Amino acid sequence: MATPEMDCATAESLVDAYLDGELPAAEARAFERALESCPPARRRLADARALRAGFQALAYHRAPASLLASVEKLLPPPPTRRAAPRFDRSWMRMAATILIAVGVGWLGGRYLPLSLSGDETGEVVAGYLRATMAERPVEVASSDHHTVKPWFSGKIDYSPPVYDLTTDGFPLLGGRIDLIDGRKIAVLVYRRNRHTLALFTWPDATRSTPAMDHRDGFAIVRWAQDGFAFRAVSDLAPDELKQFVTALSGHLEAER
Amino acid sequence: MGMTDPALAARFRTLVLPHLDAAYNYARRLTRDPIEAQDLAQESFLRAWRYFASFHGEAAKPWLFGIVRHSFISLREKRGAATMEAADGDEDLAELYGLSAATPSPERALIEADTRRLLEEALDALALPLREILLLREVEELSYKEIATILDVALGTVMSRLARAREALAAELRRRMKEN
Repeated sequence: MATPEMDCATAESLVDAYLDGELPAAEARAFERALESCPPARRRLADARALRAGFQALAYHRAPASLLASVEKLLPPPPTRRAAPRFDRSWMRMAATILIAVGVGWLGGRYLPLSLSGDETGEVVAGYLRATMAERPVEVASSDHHTVKPWFSGKIDYSPPVYDLTTDGFPLLGGRIDLIDGRKIAVLVYRRNRHTLALFTWPDATRSTPAMDHRDGFAIVRWAQDGFAFRAVSDLAPDELKQFVTALSGHLEAER
Repeated sequence: MGMTDPALAARFRTLVLPHLDAAYNYARRLTRDPIEAQDLAQESFLRAWRYFASFHGEAAKPWLFGIVRHSFISLREKRGAATMEAADGDEDLAELYGLSAATPSPERALIEADTRRLLEEALDALALPLREILLLREVEELSYKEIATILDVALGTVMSRLARAREALAAELRRRMKEN
């Protein structure tokens, strides 16, 4: 073979780094090739994976409510939503939106000005935080879409598409309802390792391809397809969030 | 001035507060005690808020975890308990636990049997520097670079200490499985 081979001893020494995702891509591929002819490295990898599974199964101690309360006491109270400054700054925001929109051109269609105004992205991120900070991140806890989907009926005026993406690495935790821009919105909550992902969805007849945005360390993907607008928010790495969007998008396409 | 700034507080709520659970879990595993963990987490958030004005844009989680760790060390020192540094640099730890390659892999038995408690106990039995690095990597899934920031050590040290910690944990598990 023309590609440089990794010897068995090297592969064995790189098991941890490989599993920790710390190997550069080329080296990771060489490692995977070397595995085929290196049983000791395969054994070590199986051990390391099992240990990791053990850690994943370990109880995760959530902060007691009293701790959150005492931390909240440290901070000045948050201003009431949509207080006075909104009025004062609105013309600046509008000016900034126009300036930037003119500067970058008409890139994102109708979504660009919306995101630059900061309101929607901010509200979606705030909604995500409400889900993650709540005692219970979901109001209906189930990975079964036959349970989650009917739960929304009577609570909101549309029926959102619900998919459990466990096989894609994103198990569905359940659903909740949040207010975005004064409107009741369906939120599906997914889990990825220790991370939480919130998917906001509402009817939208347009179609737009996924675009990523960042706010305060969170990644947000917005797109619309098959009659619904979607906003996926998480503290996941952008690549992993993209994986989620691809998986969900695939299920939606398949259903059509 | 900065302390009462509502904008600063809003930023704190968005960036730092979401890591409350993670910080508490980390504190809980470091202290091995729910009450001490709550004290530690509370003290850490007090410090985090106090220093927050000087926090600029780096990742909030490693920053917060660094504070939890420092708070833990200073609380321990106040109580006269052994510090991280005292337990650190214990190069012979793996030998101390007596690694034996002959026994079957304890790691794989872990998922087959109902031995999660065994893992908890084995983890709790590890020296602090080894326990904390395993928590940061396996539970919090932080990168080597982030761990290096929190522990304030070189990347190479993270790798070698992590390897040592995994070996020690496997040895500890093996020992406990034999006893059971």
